[in-house]
Amino acid sequence: MTELLDQAPYGAREDGRLLAELNALTAHHRAGCPAYAQIAAEGPAERIEELPLLHVSAFKHVDLRTEAEDIRHQRTLLSSATSTGVSSRIAMDARSSALQNRSVVSILADFVGDNRRPLLILDSSRSLRSRGQLSARIAAAMGLQPLSSELRLLLGDAGDATSMKWDVVLDVLKGHDELLVFGFTWILWLAWARADIPQPVHDALAGKTIHFVHSGGWKKLEEARVDRPTFDSALLAGLADGSRVVDYYGLVEQVGIIYPLCEHGSRHVPVWADVVVRDPWNHESMADGVGQLQLLNALALGAPYHSVLTEDMGRLLPGPCPCGRSGRRFELQGRIPRAEVRGCANV
Amino acid sequence: MSEHLHWFGGDVATKAVALPFDLEAIVGQWSGLRRRMVRDVPAAFSRDEWAYLAAFVDAVALRAVYTDTFGPAREPESCTALLRPRGPVALWLPNNVSLLGPLTLVLVSLTGNALRIKAGTRSDDLCSALVDWLLRHLDEGPLQRWLSEDVQVAALARTDPRQARWSEEAAVRMVFGSDAGAAAVAALPCAPTSATFAFVDKRSLCWAEVGALDDAALRTLIRVFTIYGRAGCTSPSELVLIDGDAADCQDIAARLLALWPDVVRADVDMHLASANVLSAQVAQALGWRTHMAPRHAAVICVGSHGLESVPGHLTLPISAAPLDQALAGLPANVQTIGHQVIDPSARRWQDALAASQAKRFVPLARMHHFGPVWDGVAFWRQLFEEVQVEGEVRR
Repeated sequence: MTELLDQAPYGAREDGRLLAELNALTAHHRAGCPAYAQIAAEGPAERIEELPLLHVSAFKHVDLRTEAEDIRHQRTLLSSATSTGVSSRIAMDARSSALQNRSVVSILADFVGDNRRPLLILDSSRSLRSRGQLSARIAAAMGLQPLSSELRLLLGDAGDATSMKWDVVLDVLKGHDELLVFGFTWILWLAWARADIPQPVHDALAGKTIHFVHSGGWKKLEEARVDRPTFDSALLAGLADGSRVVDYYGLVEQVGIIYPLCEHGSRHVPVWADVVVRDPWNHESMADGVGQLQLLNALALGAPYHSVLTEDMGRLLPGPCPCGRSGRRFELQGRIPRAEVRGCANV
Repeated sequence: MSEHLHWFGGDVATKAVALPFDLEAIVGQWSGLRRRMVRDVPAAFSRDEWAYLAAFVDAVALRAVYTDTFGPAREPESCTALLRPRGPVALWLPNNVSLLGPLTLVLVSLTGNALRIKAGTRSDDLCSALVDWLLRHLDEGPLQRWLSEDVQVAALARTDPRQARWSEEAAVRMVFGSDAGAAAVAALPCAPTSATFAFVDKRSLCWAEVGALDDAALRTLIRVFTIYGRAGCTSPSELVLIDGDAADCQDIAARLLALWPDVVRADVDMHLASANVLSAQVAQALGWRTHMAPRHAAVICVGSHGLESVPGHLTLPISAAPLDQALAGLPANVQTIGHQVIDPSARRWQDALAASQAKRFVPLARMHHFGPVWDGVAFWRQLFEEVQVEGEVRR
């Protein structure tokens, strides 16, 4: 496992092979993770849709870590815990991390090219220092490292978008015509797109080729009445024509798999992953129509996050995409709508 | 003098209650709304909530608040005590509070005390919705005047200075909410003679005997459970089969599953359907045997009594235990034990209650019923001050 990574991410799909790998992962996790064995039915599944799934929030409540002879856990990946105050905890291991790095590089290279260039990250160096645990934000940023020739962290304080180190940006721009910039969506807006960029940096940016890569929700931007065209054009103003903004969808619980938005509005599924759309009330898979997204990947060895039911809604898109990428593609439509649970304030 | 005197009591003690209105007039205004309530449900209320509220304002039920507290109504006569409204009531409601706010408003309306309600800032405010609805539909009368002149509802932020002022000016402070919320209100300035009633974090559950659990009882359990899931302080957050066994639990689970779609026909919200999938998986990991109701409507878990608690708003754990174990397993903050047993008057239930912290032991169907005694406190009685009246006729 997994030779699928040797293929182009959006080439011809070998779903039989993917199914075999996913079945093997289910058996592997059932053998090495007692909690998972209590939850997941014994395989093998005959179709992708029949594979057992784990609810994405199970990683907040249950210790889901798979022990095996060849698994060496290194650290725990934490989600941001914005809505519930509780983080998902994903046990990361060396083998999976290697596969996941290859996956991210392969997917992103298809969108921004594979040449190495300086990577500027909208985060602080302090985020790197915590031992054994890694935030989703910094883990996502570090996933881009194989595409970088050097790495710079741009925020003095990770929580303060005004703490941008513009002198660092200026320094990097002096020696390079191409840059990769990564940030979470809201921070990229605050710290760069909406920022009052110092004139020397502004001048130095003119004509440079920059690929902005971002992920994370649009809720705050929607509240600020910022739409995608506004966001993109604010970032790209004055840059060279080859510059672009790449918005990707990904979860801590699906580390290593990212779904960039293509220029025609689709999110394409790499051949080592799959997406199933499910009816929330009976879990039947839906060929068309909007439902709950189940994300699968063949890269999860240290914990059973190879088949995860998300709380995101989406739909499969029919036919080939005008962008030329083949295989399955889908449209993300946001989170499951929530209504407040009424009671006596004791839950 | 605008006071209207009403007499209640038995042969030994008669209490005269002085109100700023005629009690029958205000009761009549409430109950007169019931027909209209059937036709017109405000958007903020669920149908179940509105139906319960409509039943709550039935004239017989409202008169019973007085007669249950002071004794049967009597013809005018001399009294041994005179009661009059204690003074302004301030009520704090948390964000996700259920119908308790509107129900308290109804009870306070019967006392003649002014009422200020601090509603949640992040949720549907049922009290405002109710007051708006009432003022749109009420004719001129004591209830309409009370609502217009003596009731204030506002969603106040934590830092709003009105919180301290309302607290300071209140003769009675009432709080529903978390322990922390109640502590915050307790820390506000208040008059030394004021009374405070804090109804805080509580849990309820159901005790049943298998022989008493016919299909009608199981349907009732489903109805009561699905009103608030486990989010209400009076919700049956678990079912304990007293003197039952594991096979009984499985049998009851299977019967509940079969009845569920017939009792609850509407789909649960999508996020709850998803949360039920999560709850079932967490319960399985904890060692519970789980059953998903059709269309992900609820999760029924079967396991040993004392197994680690299962999370989940619409998750009903079922276990079996002898009474002494069930008693020992009650949560420290137990409020209501809803019962479905063959003889609830049997001595063993009284012995168990005496040894417990439970505040209510009521039929399963009445678990959510609110009244003038709550959490073990006769709070409504305390909305009056009592004038001692003594003396003999001298001729």
